[in-house]
Amino acid sequence: MMEPSEKEAPAVHTRDVWKIFEQEAGEVPAVRGVSVSIARGEFTALAGPSGSGKTTLLNMIGGLTRATRGQIFVSGRELTGMSAVELARLRLQEVGFVFQAYNLLPVLSAMENAEFPLLLQGVEESERRARISELFARTGLTGLEDRLPGKLSGGQQQRVAVVRAVAARPALVLADEPTANLDTAASESLLDMMEELNRELSTTFVFATHDRRVMDRSRRLVRLVDGEIESDDVRTP
Amino acid sequence: MSYRSRAMTRLAWRNIRRHVRRSLLTSLAMILGGTLLMISLPLGDGTHEAWIESAVRMGAGHLSIEHPDFHASRKIEDRLSGELRASVEAALHTPELRGRVRLSTPQVNIGGLASSPSGARPVQILGVDPVGEAAFTILDEKVTAGRYLSDEDRLAAYVGVGLSERLGLELGSRLVVTSQDGSGEIAGQLLRVVGIFRSGVPEIDESLVHIPMATASEWLGIGEDVTRISVLVDTSADVDATVRALTATLSGPSLDGSLTVMGWREAMPALDAAVRVDDFGNYLFQAILFSIIALGIVNTVLMSVLHRYREFGVLQALGLTPRQTGGLVLVEGLILTAASGVVGIALGLLITWTFWRDGLDISAVFSEEFSFSGVVMDPVIVPSFRLARVIQGLVFILVIGTLASLYPAYRATRIDVAEAMKFER
Ligand SMILES: Nc1ncnc2c1ncn2[C@@H]1O[C@H](COP(=O)(O)OP(=O)(O)O)[C@@H](O)[C@H]1O
Ligand SMILES: [Mg+2]
Repeated sequence: MMEPSEKEAPAVHTRDVWKIFEQEAGEVPAVRGVSVSIARGEFTALAGPSGSGKTTLLNMIGGLTRATRGQIFVSGRELTGMSAVELARLRLQEVGFVFQAYNLLPVLSAMENAEFPLLLQGVEESERRARISELFARTGLTGLEDRLPGKLSGGQQQRVAVVRAVAARPALVLADEPTANLDTAASESLLDMMEELNRELSTTFVFATHDRRVMDRSRRLVRLVDGEIESDDVRTP
Repeated sequence: MSYRSRAMTRLAWRNIRRHVRRSLLTSLAMILGGTLLMISLPLGDGTHEAWIESAVRMGAGHLSIEHPDFHASRKIEDRLSGELRASVEAALHTPELRGRVRLSTPQVNIGGLASSPSGARPVQILGVDPVGEAAFTILDEKVTAGRYLSDEDRLAAYVGVGLSERLGLELGSRLVVTSQDGSGEIAGQLLRVVGIFRSGVPEIDESLVHIPMATASEWLGIGEDVTRISVLVDTSADVDATVRALTATLSGPSLDGSLTVMGWREAMPALDAAVRVDDFGNYLFQAILFSIIALGIVNTVLMSVLHRYREFGVLQALGLTPRQTGGLVLVEGLILTAASGVVGIALGLLITWTFWRDGLDISAVFSEEFSFSGVVMDPVIVPSFRLARVIQGLVFILVIGTLASLYPAYRATRIDVAEAMKFER
């Protein structure tokens, strides 16, 4: 079957994706036959109890973990069969990650962290600084450019991580429990920020979360239970 | 440099600076290694230089020009004619060679028998130009009785102390030397002892006799002919280039096949072997030392990789390939070892220069005079500083640093990103 061309392709498309971890105690099926399509510009939450396979699914979509079976397309490009180098390039061009533990590079300042993917892409300094300054201004980070991550609050670190994820203008931002370490105020303002980026830059966001606040703000809620999709609802918040 | 390599270098640098303690630990080992390297190499080279200097100045120089067959035959018929001698001496005075040659002197070197009323001994007789040879040899300084030969001397002999004892010779004693002369006849010559020396090398002290060139020439009937022209250069490191230059200057249709230029390594294979064996011992010691240092580096760099598992996971999530992640580890290892290698080398040179530039006295260890392969060990080691050694040391350190970082780098390429990013870690 012909795949849709990159431009009109959905940001994510999976077809009967499985992930089975081989363990000494036996096989652990973490994701069991997930087929889902996420269009460009969506603001989608993958919800489900702990251990339901959210992280595993997200990692497969981002090319960090290989699927055991099935097909995954990101911007119309099939990940199955890509080499490690091709997967790295795909992440660099198409995917931004946000993690529960922020995961900024501890030795780089906020600005340097945020511009790192742009450096890897070979974007000129002036262009880099312009883009990051603009995003910092938009997200209330102006003035914190030179701080090391250790000197930022959790909420600030996560904002820098989000800026880092969107700066390279990826087709897709994958955020795994982005608010799990944040208090309510910080969570809300982070969500405000991501909503705004989603609206104004039409960046696609996919969250893995069991945080009610995130689910409430999402416009589509996919529920996973034991590695399978239990429900998939488009919501009108 | 591309933006990516700039980003990686920046990251490598920051990591080195952030983990000061770990970095220092790695660098200290390497600094120590570099320091020891630049102490042991100059002192080792200096020792060898002293051996070589002493050996060549008691014999045929750093290099000598002889008849092609003389080295093997040791026979007077394989000599250089007066004409050849003149063209060689002319060649040594060309501008091309004058800069390389420190000293040169003609010698007539033959084996013979020395006899006195007390007995007879086989000897090496060296006919020399007394003034030229006094500058060339170190034996004139080893005099224990009498004096070295002078220009006015005829029928004079300067003999080793061992020979003088065996033949019962004292100053003024007579002895007769017998050898084959230039026309193949056996000829004897009466000599009178004017000086006795002790070189410290038993083989030399028991067999060497210096006599004036004029006496040798008359006795052997060889006119202006000599068996060799011996040449000193500034350091043994200049020998090969000088041999090449001299060979080039002397090669020509009229000279081809009638003479050869021989370096000390060829002329004294035992000494050459001794230098090589001692160098080998040095290298072996360094190999062991640097293996230990390398293990230390592997350990600290590997620790740092394991410690930074998550960071490498992040880098790959951001779009670095596994290889580039390993490259980062390699760059860190290289920056660290290169920097500490340079510091170590500088420190080693500084220490050697500051404390021992005029010589390191090890006579406390060598109380007795000690000789081998025709060399007297000087208890004072004067270090020899060579740029080539510094470069060699740097390259060596870089290679060790690279090798030691390879395994940790490989480990960094193999990390499971999803595992590294797990929150619980
Ligand atoms: N590397 C792994 N090896 C074995 N089992 C794993 C591995 N990663 C995840 N799992 C298992 O897969 C299931 C899904 O895990 P995960 O995707 O982390 O769920 P969630 O993110 O929804 O909490 C769990 O049962 C977990 O124990
Ligand atoms: Mg999870």
